[in-house]
Amino acid sequence: MSNNIKYWKGEEELAKDPAFLAARKNEFPDALPLDEVLGEEGVELNSNRRDFLKFFGFSVTAVALAACYKTKVRHAVPYLVKPDDVTPGVASYYSSTCGSCSTACGVEVKVREGRPIKVDGNPRSTVSKGGLCATGQAGILSLYDTERLANPVANGAETADWTKIDKMVSDRLKETEMSKGRIVILSSTIHSPSTLKSIADFKSKFTTAEHITYDAISYSGIISANKDDFGKAAIPAYKFENAELIVSFGADFLGTWISPVEFTKGYVANRIPTAGKTMSKHIQFESNLSMTGTNADERFPMKASKELLYLGSLYNYLAEKAGNKQIAVPQNGELAGNSIKKTAELLWNAKGKSLVISGSNNTAAQKLVNGINMLLENYGKTIDISNHSNQFKGVDTDTDNLLNDLSAGKVSAIIFYNTNPVYSHNAKWADAIKKASLSVSFSSTKDETASVCQFICPDNHYLESWGDAEPKAGEYHFMQPTISNVFNTRQAQLSLLAWAEATPKAENDPFASKAILSQKLSASPYYIYIKSNWATQLSSNEAFNKALHDGVWSSVAESKPVSYAGDVTILTNEINESGKSIGTDLILYSQVYLKDGAHGNNPWLHELPDPVSKVTWDNYVSLPKSLAHKINFKEGDTVNVKVGNTTLKNVPAMVQPGQANETVGLALGYGRTAAGKVGGSKEKGFDAVGISAWPLISSKNGSRSWFANGVEITMGDESYALAQTQTHHSIEGRDLVREASYSDWKKNPTAGNDKEKTHIYTIWEKRDYRKDGSPNHLWAMAIDLNACTGCGSCVVSCSIENNVPVVGREEIRLRREMTWIRIDRYYSFANTSKEIDGNYVTREKEIGQIDKADKGDFSHWENIKVVHQPMMCQHCSQAPCETVCPVLATTHSTEGLNQMTYNRCIGTKYCGNNCPYKVRRFNWFRYNDNDKFDFHFNNPLGKMVINPDVTVRTRGVMEKCSFCVQRIQEGKLKAKREGKSPNEVMVETACQRACPANAIVFGDLHNPDSEISKLYKNERAFGVLEEINVQSSVKYLTKIRNTETI
Amino acid sequence: MQRQMRTLVLAAAISLSVSLKAEFKASAEEGKKLYEANNCGSCHAMDKKVVGPALRGVTERRSEEWLIKWIRNNEAFRKSGDADANALYKEYGGAAMNIFENLSPDQVKNILEYIKTAPKPAAPKATAAVEGDSGKSDSNSLYILLALIGIFVIVLIILGKVRNTLRRLAAEQDGTADDDAKVSFVKRLLPEKLAKMNPTVLTVFTVVILGGIGFVWSYKFGITEVGVQKGYAPTQPIAYSHKLHAGDLKIDCKYCHIGVEESKSATIPSLNICMNCHKGVQKASTAEGDEISPQIAKIYKALDYNPEKIGAEAFGPNPKPIRWVRIHNLPDHAYFNHSQHVKVAGLACQTCHGPIEKMEVVQQWSSLQMGWCIDCHRNAGIDAANNNYYAALHEKAAKDLKDHKNKSQYFGPDGKVKITPAMNGGLECAKCHY
Repeated sequence: MSNNIKYWKGEEELAKDPAFLAARKNEFPDALPLDEVLGEEGVELNSNRRDFLKFFGFSVTAVALAACYKTKVRHAVPYLVKPDDVTPGVASYYSSTCGSCSTACGVEVKVREGRPIKVDGNPRSTVSKGGLCATGQAGILSLYDTERLANPVANGAETADWTKIDKMVSDRLKETEMSKGRIVILSSTIHSPSTLKSIADFKSKFTTAEHITYDAISYSGIISANKDDFGKAAIPAYKFENAELIVSFGADFLGTWISPVEFTKGYVANRIPTAGKTMSKHIQFESNLSMTGTNADERFPMKASKELLYLGSLYNYLAEKAGNKQIAVPQNGELAGNSIKKTAELLWNAKGKSLVISGSNNTAAQKLVNGINMLLENYGKTIDISNHSNQFKGVDTDTDNLLNDLSAGKVSAIIFYNTNPVYSHNAKWADAIKKASLSVSFSSTKDETASVCQFICPDNHYLESWGDAEPKAGEYHFMQPTISNVFNTRQAQLSLLAWAEATPKAENDPFASKAILSQKLSASPYYIYIKSNWATQLSSNEAFNKALHDGVWSSVAESKPVSYAGDVTILTNEINESGKSIGTDLILYSQVYLKDGAHGNNPWLHELPDPVSKVTWDNYVSLPKSLAHKINFKEGDTVNVKVGNTTLKNVPAMVQPGQANETVGLALGYGRTAAGKVGGSKEKGFDAVGISAWPLISSKNGSRSWFANGVEITMGDESYALAQTQTHHSIEGRDLVREASYSDWKKNPTAGNDKEKTHIYTIWEKRDYRKDGSPNHLWAMAIDLNACTGCGSCVVSCSIENNVPVVGREEIRLRREMTWIRIDRYYSFANTSKEIDGNYVTREKEIGQIDKADKGDFSHWENIKVVHQPMMCQHCSQAPCETVCPVLATTHSTEGLNQMTYNRCIGTKYCGNNCPYKVRRFNWFRYNDNDKFDFHFNNPLGKMVINPDVTVRTRGVMEKCSFCVQRIQEGKLKAKREGKSPNEVMVETACQRACPANAIVFGDLHNPDSEISKLYKNERAFGVLEEINVQSSVKYLTKIRNTETI
Repeated sequence: MQRQMRTLVLAAAISLSVSLKAEFKASAEEGKKLYEANNCGSCHAMDKKVVGPALRGVTERRSEEWLIKWIRNNEAFRKSGDADANALYKEYGGAAMNIFENLSPDQVKNILEYIKTAPKPAAPKATAAVEGDSGKSDSNSLYILLALIGIFVIVLIILGKVRNTLRRLAAEQDGTADDDAKVSFVKRLLPEKLAKMNPTVLTVFTVVILGGIGFVWSYKFGITEVGVQKGYAPTQPIAYSHKLHAGDLKIDCKYCHIGVEESKSATIPSLNICMNCHKGVQKASTAEGDEISPQIAKIYKALDYNPEKIGAEAFGPNPKPIRWVRIHNLPDHAYFNHSQHVKVAGLACQTCHGPIEKMEVVQQWSSLQMGWCIDCHRNAGIDAANNNYYAALHEKAAKDLKDHKNKSQYFGPDGKVKITPAMNGGLECAKCHY
């Protein structure tokens, strides 16, 4: 039985907006931008015959002269003394730990000729398990950021001399200590044992010093709740891989919540329907349509301000079953379709195999969650509080108190380490900092906080640093430098040790005797420091080096049984108050890529389309359809957001299907004013990207609240076009994604994928290489729609691997994004809307025919299902693009690859027009060395990240996914050199390597034992647009939802 | 009787040899041979410290007996507790001299004799500038001469033309102009038959001929010359001779070009590889004295290495890498991998780089054009039988040939049966362009 779901990508497509219908006819909607290019240089385009002759004559002469130009002499500069482990032209890989956020995923760094060019997950790491998020992937570009400080700064002036700075800072620290003044180190979460020891060393020298942790995105609620309930102020370790039922209240655990990569790995482990194994079920209650919500089997829209009510009610249902005391509230909160009660029943059946979590930062909510998980006996099974997570440790009240003390002049010296409170906490910090007699920032750029500090002692990038980490109790990660310092920077720990006069001495340098020729290798003092810290656990050189090589070392203690001291029945007041909430909620969420905004100057993260809205280069207010209808909001309008006394004017906005009624969303992490050229800098005159939503955050009961209640939304008086990629390519009612319910799948594994096969007529003969017994490889890919969460990691990974340029907001508005892989997001109305009036949108019944909007009913707009589908060149065996190329620039290989030869391409764009999947990208401009595209390709430092094995394309050529042919060639060559058989060739494409959900599998179909060959035989496998018989080399696996029906 | 005889002969022989031994006289000539055969020069020089001490006067500093013990086995000698030996060892930073037990004491004496009599070096001669600009002025003056001739010819033609015009004008004024005079200057140069042709036809005809020649020439020039650097042999910062190292000394290419079997680049050797030999070999092979070769001195300068000093101290703080001039420049959109061709295909370096072992100055031997790549990919045979990677391919080919199935595909352009890279996808774009 095939389904009859109507899928759509954007509202205008669903509503058949006339402008959209007109635009979708054109893949390249604009004429050649000649006016734009030539117009500025004062050249008239409307030329007459004489002009033509002039240009013609000039061009011929110019070309002739250019041909006479002498070839530039090129130089080659070899090493003076080549390090043993470097062979020019061969990549080396080092284990390290990602420093892009405090989650600390283990990573593997690819280094070519001494420069790191790619970061991927380290399979040995218990946090990343081989995957890596988009932010981590993109983090490598912060190393090559021109905004980084080249030297330390003292009182606004750069100085190359560290000893001078050290003297000034340590003198003042000593004075402060003598006069018993408070010294505070404010940092984001630190769980590195050695860094903590260096802070302890600092504190033992300066006895008035203290260390306070501030996390911009904090988990204060969980930490305080656990402190009260279990006597342990920590975030527990969540084990999604053990859960058969996951219930999340607003926690975006696949995108942003605590440790998304680790959770994705665990989550996906039970999400693939396999015979003989139970598929887990995921229920999401939330206000915004989060990335996690898009993956839920069942999603129920909920007002964030009423979360306590629903949690209380869920507790009561479960307490009733368990025979425990219920919370005395006047009535139980319930959502449409009795979903809380139904969830309670499912949870009770999955006792000990379930997991309930909440993204709220409210201690009461987290206490209720603890109570629910205790009732369900989940502790020790899906939640481990004894071996807890260290990834976030900040408690909000500490920071609030510090700000008060600092403003009151009670703090004499303040040191900021990896934190930016002026931007992310409160603008009052800027004045407060000036009251301290000493202020130091370790920031590597002149960010909002650093620019008001007296001293900036720039820290190394993590790829230049030694370090260790303990993201989870007993599980250690190591960090090693993969490049020598790009700038005159110093590790923050060394600065602290230098001021405490505790810098490790070079005498202990284990390399001292090994000085090779002139390169007297002197190890960083911090390396010696770490080594001596580890001397007891890793007692020998070999043990330490092995830990460095592996990147991980663990010594996890046995899990201890928990002792629960919590009592949720006293939370009556909080729950009652939550139940009374009226008005509109504003949900302030962290965006999946920008997170807290620390990477605000990273163009890759801005250009990456949001997993749900597909908006790039901006944050925006996401409106529910009902509110948009009420205020008469049209696409391109802006809104004003009033929260308490704060008003944000003219904020870009869009209608977000799935947004709960009476809620709006706005992402944090945007609106940087001192990030740099890309993210925005007041000082240098670059506009901020997006609007900062931090000022809208308020504290409730000691923790920062991620929502505000009673918000007023009014129409703004400006218009603003968001740069979206979502409707750039259209479905036109075709059968692109397939889905089925788990119950149907259990009855019939081909459920949802049993469309009658179209009878194929072909004029082509079967390609030789496709025939059995062909000795060549046959490369193919399979993507499991059940595993893909839409996280975008593959997109960044692909862009890094294949030197895909960043084009910027304006070009994306013109539909000229360059990414080789995109993740198509398809909306459909959930079947719950059918229950309401027996009518729902199908392919036959378009929205216009049944739209309930006229009746003022927008419930169907809240209940949205989503399918994510990564789409890249399908490497068709009978490729439509190949037959139309007039210059044979795109051809087919005997290994099944659709090859694109840039230096042959003359840019007719015929291939792009003829591609059924719309995956070809045209280079409208030369994106490198072009001031109009002032991103990393426009400066020598940013270009260091370029993959030397892949051509940087120029203007006027088509490009597209190559199946990472450079990796294929490398893998084959390695096998040939070692005399291995073709079946032993190991090739991983960049997208596959990055995927935290293991959704992408690539391999050789001529190897019958390969994973890809097995997946091709899977009952769920289908090709997109199979009926046009292009014989694509990419198969998708039907999405199965764990529901009764779809 | 026979046995007695034999004993006698033996005794005579022994006594003879003993007497010979007693009469031993050290020969400087033999010593020189031994000195060279044992590569003493790689660590020692006569008048200066190299790796080991300067040798001149060593026989005056030490006793012959001491020297024999030291040279033959300095390690045992040091262990025996000789104070001088241990002091010497320490002085040179614990760098032990090789053991030469293969040398008999007499041979050592020969070497010592050679050291005693070795000629003193001649006064240093001024070395000729290596990178002179001589010859440049010559070619300059040639160009000036050619330009002058050119200008002269043009002036002549113009003058001729002016003269003709004046003459014609004069004739017209005089009324004496005849048809003949009206015929243009060009036409009068042509043979009579051509001159009678319609001027338009003639012009078109000429233009087509000249244009055709021009086109053919520029097409040929374009595809064989533009951007092709065949024969490019730039002056390098160090006049390194492949002829000496690879040709005369027969050093394996892979000794220096270490990347060639594992990397896309063969790699230009780093200086630590040079120093493996040139820490010891300091003077030019042709030089008489101990003077450091000016080319080798450039290596030392780059490393900031002071040959007078020992161990890590010899390396100063200011090394400066050498900027070699790249000879082989593939365009960025073409990917080439040395290991594929050297390790997998087993090609000799000379296949593409020409007789490199005979080149004093290296030059680009092949055109490095795509056609040149393709030619080889069409013609060369893959040794499919001896690499497991090609096993399936080889098996299929063998079977097809046996069964007479699609046999023609296994014939190379030369008519021989083989598997060429082209048969295995070696002509496909994405093999080199991505």
